[in-house]
Amino acid sequence: MTISRTTRFFLIAAPAALLVTGTLAAAPAAAPSPQAAIAARQAGYKKMGAAMKAINDQLKTDAPAKAVMSPAAQTLAATAREQPKLFPAGSGPTAGVKTDALPNIWTDRKTFDAQMAKLIAESGKLVAVMNSGNIDAIRAQAKATGGTCAACHRQFRQDT
Amino acid sequence: MTASDTPAPGTRLARIWDAPIRLFHWLLLPLIAFSWWSGERHEMEWHRLSGYAILALLVFRIYWGFFGGRTARFSQFLRGPAAALSYLRSQASGRHVPAPGHNPIGGWSVILMLATLVAMVVAGLFAVDVDGLESGPLADYVSFDQGRLASDIHGIVFNLLLALIVLHVVAILFYAVRLRQNLVGPMIHGRRRTGEQVADVTTSPWKALIGIAIAGTCAYAVARGFRL
Repeated sequence: MTISRTTRFFLIAAPAALLVTGTLAAAPAAAPSPQAAIAARQAGYKKMGAAMKAINDQLKTDAPAKAVMSPAAQTLAATAREQPKLFPAGSGPTAGVKTDALPNIWTDRKTFDAQMAKLIAESGKLVAVMNSGNIDAIRAQAKATGGTCAACHRQFRQDT
Repeated sequence: MTASDTPAPGTRLARIWDAPIRLFHWLLLPLIAFSWWSGERHEMEWHRLSGYAILALLVFRIYWGFFGGRTARFSQFLRGPAAALSYLRSQASGRHVPAPGHNPIGGWSVILMLATLVAMVVAGLFAVDVDGLESGPLADYVSFDQGRLASDIHGIVFNLLLALIVLHVVAILFYAVRLRQNLVGPMIHGRRRTGEQVADVTTSPWKALIGIAIAGTCAYAVARGFRL
């Protein structure tokens, strides 16, 4: 028995098409691929680092501008809330792209999540203190927030 | 006892290194060690202070390269490749004549080490840590990414500096063992047995004071991020 050219085309093309559309449809619901997650979280951390620097640059001056520090604190807090979602299984050193994430993020996930929660809490307080607090209070809270970055990096990031 | 310490007819103990040069050298050594230690330990307040001290030393050394004693001046020890080559050739021929100051190869070593230290300090001034938390005094003039790049350069240049320090120590050992010449002693007390025609190095205390004032002012201004 011979298979016509048309039949052959559908035999190959139909499952392929199903696969493609299926993947596209499933993409938003599923977790990001490890590589995409690494890229997204690195971009997030860079944003947070820049925001932290913007705040600390102001705090170094004689008259820190709240107009600069307040949006930076909001960026920090908003980005912090997104970061915990960007550590899916397989996005560690085995992912095949450069990452400083240490394997113990996944073996000691409870501690890691607790550190993330601390960052979210402290950066939230930083937003609050921007609106109400004086410069000394902002300085203290910026230090506390930065402290959570440094503490977590010592535990879970390579090359600190 | 090395050859240079042995009295010989027609020689004298001449002062070849002035006091500021020796102070510069022996202050730089512990400061580099302390900077390394404080950097590794993330003691950034100490690391910055140590860096400002090195900055002041470097500014003074560059000033002293124009206004210092004879052997400290760039014009005296900056020699072309031809002079460096002929010095190497004379060494290879087995007849070692101690130079009354930096020899042509040593001069290049000094310039390389000074340039590396300047690069190190300048990169450090703009460096930002990964948290955006600790930074050099001029980091607010650059973006976070540029500050991170400065931090990476700061780290790479440090490895270059370490390599040069190793080379420096190996050269000193080579002079001590193979050429029987003690280089460390003169850097401590300033004198070496030389030919009778070599004059003592002289300096002006006023010029030294002016240099210290310039160095201190520069370091202070930079440490304050020019917010004076």
